[in-house]
Amino acid sequence: MSNTLSTASRPTQPGMTSCSRTQTPSQARTGKLFLTLPLGQRLPLRFVVDKRNLIVNLSLMGLLLLLTGGSLAIGSAATLSASATFEALLGQGSALDNFVVRELRLPRVVAGIVTGSAFALAGCLMQTVARNRLATPGIVGLDNGATAFAVASVIGTGISLAPPAMALTGAAVAAALTFGLTGSIGVRGYRFLVAGIGVGAVFGAITQLMLTRVSIDAANAAYPWTVGSLNARPAHAVSILSLALLPALLAAIRLTRSLTVMRLSDAVATSLGVSTSRCRLMALSVAVILTGLAVAVAGPVGMVALIGPEFARQISARNTVPVVGATLAGAIVMLAADLLGRVILAPIEVPVGIITALTGSPLLLWILLNPHTRTTP
Amino acid sequence: MTQEAFVSAPVDDDSAPDIATQGLSLAYGNVSVIEGLELRLPAGQVTAIVGPNGCGKSTLLSGLSRLLKPCAGAVLLDGADIQRVPSRQLAKRLALLPQHPHAPEALTVAELVRFGRHPHQSWLCQWSSDDKACVDEALAMTGLTTLAERPVDALSGGQRQRAWIALAIAQQTSTLLLDEPTSALDLGHQVEVYELIRSLTAAGKTIVMVIHDLVGACRYADHLIAMHQGQILAEGPPGETVTADLVRRLYGVDCTLMTDPATGAPLLTNVRRTRDALDGSAT
Repeated sequence: MSNTLSTASRPTQPGMTSCSRTQTPSQARTGKLFLTLPLGQRLPLRFVVDKRNLIVNLSLMGLLLLLTGGSLAIGSAATLSASATFEALLGQGSALDNFVVRELRLPRVVAGIVTGSAFALAGCLMQTVARNRLATPGIVGLDNGATAFAVASVIGTGISLAPPAMALTGAAVAAALTFGLTGSIGVRGYRFLVAGIGVGAVFGAITQLMLTRVSIDAANAAYPWTVGSLNARPAHAVSILSLALLPALLAAIRLTRSLTVMRLSDAVATSLGVSTSRCRLMALSVAVILTGLAVAVAGPVGMVALIGPEFARQISARNTVPVVGATLAGAIVMLAADLLGRVILAPIEVPVGIITALTGSPLLLWILLNPHTRTTP
Repeated sequence: MTQEAFVSAPVDDDSAPDIATQGLSLAYGNVSVIEGLELRLPAGQVTAIVGPNGCGKSTLLSGLSRLLKPCAGAVLLDGADIQRVPSRQLAKRLALLPQHPHAPEALTVAELVRFGRHPHQSWLCQWSSDDKACVDEALAMTGLTTLAERPVDALSGGQRQRAWIALAIAQQTSTLLLDEPTSALDLGHQVEVYELIRSLTAAGKTIVMVIHDLVGACRYADHLIAMHQGQILAEGPPGETVTADLVRRLYGVDCTLMTDPATGAPLLTNVRRTRDALDGSAT
């Protein structure tokens, strides 16, 4: 390969080099950790880790752990002490405690973590790819598409085996429609957004139409999918989403470097060797899969896709794509909203979708109305 | 500026690559801009592509850098069709600086220049001592070492343009494609960028720049390509290529052509509208 500017062998200039040697401008105050894994010279594993993001992600992980414990301990049936919760979690508490923690609360907490993570990761990817912070799967109509298909399957078949597949199909159909109407996502992000809102409205209307045409019992069975709730969710849908989440997160982490370069511009990113259209397609596919599977579990809690990444972006290092931070923040937002919904009007439960909508709407308005916020993620 | 610093730099080991087009046709949708273009860009020299607005200069540059896929023909880099070269490989050989690039808010100069190393990095090797050396060198070449920690959007126009050129330098390609690198810059900053470009050629790089400033092109380019309506009207060394007749056919203006006593480059004076142009028949 060309090596026009090989510095190693070149005689260095006085003045200029002394300056660069003392300051090392390429690495000075970068806020990055330059890690080299000791695996020998032949296979150089060198990772660049942003210090701030590392601290942020560790803190978010701690917060998530605390919130998980809180969600397991607190509830209308019984509020347990920390040690009692832990014992019950291991199956060594009283029979009632064991039942409450392991059978009632644990599945719900797991469902909250995986759906919150999935929604927020999907949101982060989509916002980055569309270069617009409002371009979350919920706003672009994926949630509504997935919901319409899930509701159709619940009403039509009466069994809840189909929703994950149906919701996934619905999200894919909505994405394909929106994509087909605009032709692209990044170059015309604004048009993508407007077309997505339209597609979402159509699917929303279809869902409502279906609900008004069926018996009250069938409509009741389909109700959780229309508002978003973590109460008694289908276990197999949670398992499917959990299985999909890890590969999706790994894929997103792999895409992060390309996505970061794409923040410059398509022309520059292409010049730097990034296959922009392939990168977009992959990010969009991951977002569609995660959204579809998450809607199958919890219904359209799309606001998490707005709040999670926004929260992560505010605290993460600037000019990075906080994929991991957004995932953790999404889980936190979901758990916190669910806990709040369970406690605030106890013993009546407020569905998590309503809590996130109530907290998310002011955030949406703030993004839209605050002249100082950047619309590009 | 530290231009003399790298004139003595070792020239590329493998000889500078050869860029050519073969029956290249470029179009935006159904609108054909360039048809059947045959072109050869001299290696290790500064080539300036000039022509009136909408003549297809920038389109040609997009085609050369693979931003725009040809509808027919090919761009050949050392005889290989660039559409078939893996994008990362191509990015190690060919860099493009688009017109008016925009840096994300609060991105520092060093962070921007570090992006230039992207094609040389992988997920498993995200940063090496080579990368560090190249970034430091690119900053030094463009005189930005002391400004490395400044946000790009806080720089002056000339500094900003130098920062973007530094990104392309850090990419370590033998060819640089620049789309109007001096537009929107004042005279001092223009000369700064031109001299940087000259010094890059002295270090063995091939430069292809689209440019509006015909006088600057004559002064700083080794090879001039004059385009009009997607076709090449003339090409060659500026001193032999630029004639009063060519200027009239390109821009619809009459001029008196002189030779710059200081540099020997063609100099345009007394530029005025051609009477024919007023009737709309400039060519």
